[in-house]
Amino acid sequence: MEPLETFLVEAPLQSESEQYRQILKDVISDMVLAQSIGRIKVVIRPEESLFQMAMVLRGGLSPVKTSDFADVNVGEFGKNEVVIKINNEKYLSQLLKILWDKYGRLNVRQPERKTVAVKTENPMDKISNIENIIVDDPRNTLKKRVVDMAVRVAPEGFRVRYHSLKGDNFIFVASEDAMKQEWIEEAHQMLDELTDKED
Amino acid sequence: MGVVLEPYIYEGGMYKHGLILELLEDLGGYLVQKTPAGSEVTLVMLIPKEDVHLVQDLAKKLLGTLTKAPLTGTEIAVVSPTLASHHLPHSACDVAEYLRRGGSNTNMIGLARGMGRKVSLSEDYERKLINEHDVAVFSFGVFSDCIINKKPKLFKGIKVPIVATGGPELNTEDVPGADMYVGGIGRIAHRMRKEGELNSLDVLNEKVGEMIENKREKLAKDPLAVIPARVMQEIERQISDIQNVLSPAPITLQLDGLRIKLPYEDYHKNIENLEFDEGVVLSEIADVMPSKMKNYILVKIKPESEVGYSI
Repeated sequence: MEPLETFLVEAPLQSESEQYRQILKDVISDMVLAQSIGRIKVVIRPEESLFQMAMVLRGGLSPVKTSDFADVNVGEFGKNEVVIKINNEKYLSQLLKILWDKYGRLNVRQPERKTVAVKTENPMDKISNIENIIVDDPRNTLKKRVVDMAVRVAPEGFRVRYHSLKGDNFIFVASEDAMKQEWIEEAHQMLDELTDKED
Repeated sequence: MGVVLEPYIYEGGMYKHGLILELLEDLGGYLVQKTPAGSEVTLVMLIPKEDVHLVQDLAKKLLGTLTKAPLTGTEIAVVSPTLASHHLPHSACDVAEYLRRGGSNTNMIGLARGMGRKVSLSEDYERKLINEHDVAVFSFGVFSDCIINKKPKLFKGIKVPIVATGGPELNTEDVPGADMYVGGIGRIAHRMRKEGELNSLDVLNEKVGEMIENKREKLAKDPLAVIPARVMQEIERQISDIQNVLSPAPITLQLDGLRIKLPYEDYHKNIENLEFDEGVVLSEIADVMPSKMKNYILVKIKPESEVGYSI
């Protein structure tokens, strides 16, 4: 699936759809979501106070493990330490936090910027443990960003909301009146239309 | 009071800008606002009509520019349904910024519960605050249905001229309660800098300018007992504490009065007893009252027909 290969906005008037499409574009780029969204369809019916959005996210994001951005080795002979050489500092703070929780703050040293040393009894056994720590899960932060984006693009007064996020499929319905079951079903249909294209 | 004053903005270097101020004082004009920014300065002034060329020549000599600013001396309320990210900083702030370029002072007012269709409403306090301004500019969204059928209830109780802005191109008559409608703005989530967007803002400035001009003409038929700029000058001379106010515009001019950003309780006596050379005190020719904005002082000058004379 290409990023934003389907991008549909339906509003009562053509000019209104175009302007709303621009709002969506701006919010998507503000939230750095352009690469993560595959297909999106939005239907707005102001006279019914209704905003519906169905979205298919692009999968393929895998969790980041220590071994993805660092080399893990035993320390110098005689010191019971595991030494982690960081190649990408982006995840350093998250890794440190996890190591502190796991091994205690006193046992984790950072002798210089890109090196972290962990004091432990059996350094050889701990290497694979540390290599497999999941430091960051982009899917989690992506979910948060997607929900945030939905709230931002919906008209402001529409505070009655329904959302469903299953796997890569996201549905969002907002209104200022009580939620109707038919609106939710309609949104599910929109999602089906989007996923049908996947052959 | 035979002198006709014209509003102008001078933009130029800080260096020697004092010459402009001296000339302005000699000509009997008024400095409305001075905004220094680094080595640049922006002066908003009222210059006697027949002497404009003198200031123009001096501005040229100092390599600055002098442009006409029809919105000078007005205070405009830019009202958005709420202060949420849906309206701010774009487009409501862009609208306000553009109006400021025309010389006006703008206040952003976010209603507490203005969002939505059925649920939107305004409070008594908010209406009173908006009524303290010369013109209210409402910034609405993208859908014509909302603008035509639902949002106009926010205009209830607003006595000042109303300019509504929104996305669709509608006629003014379609929007009940609005004195003017300007399209092409609406809900925009990026800074307005495309050609079409800037054109709409220019149209907005023009229309607000027309509206202000109408109001000025009405006022000219029954002129005020004293022009607001003169009161401002007297306050600056007689009440030294105004120099310590840190607001960009410690005294904000309106078409028929002014807002003074000093606490009402401590200063209203001083303002009421402000003396003019003609032997008149301000309370004889104007109403001095507490403003709905913070604890500022609001002065509304009475017309000549009510006072019986003008100074």
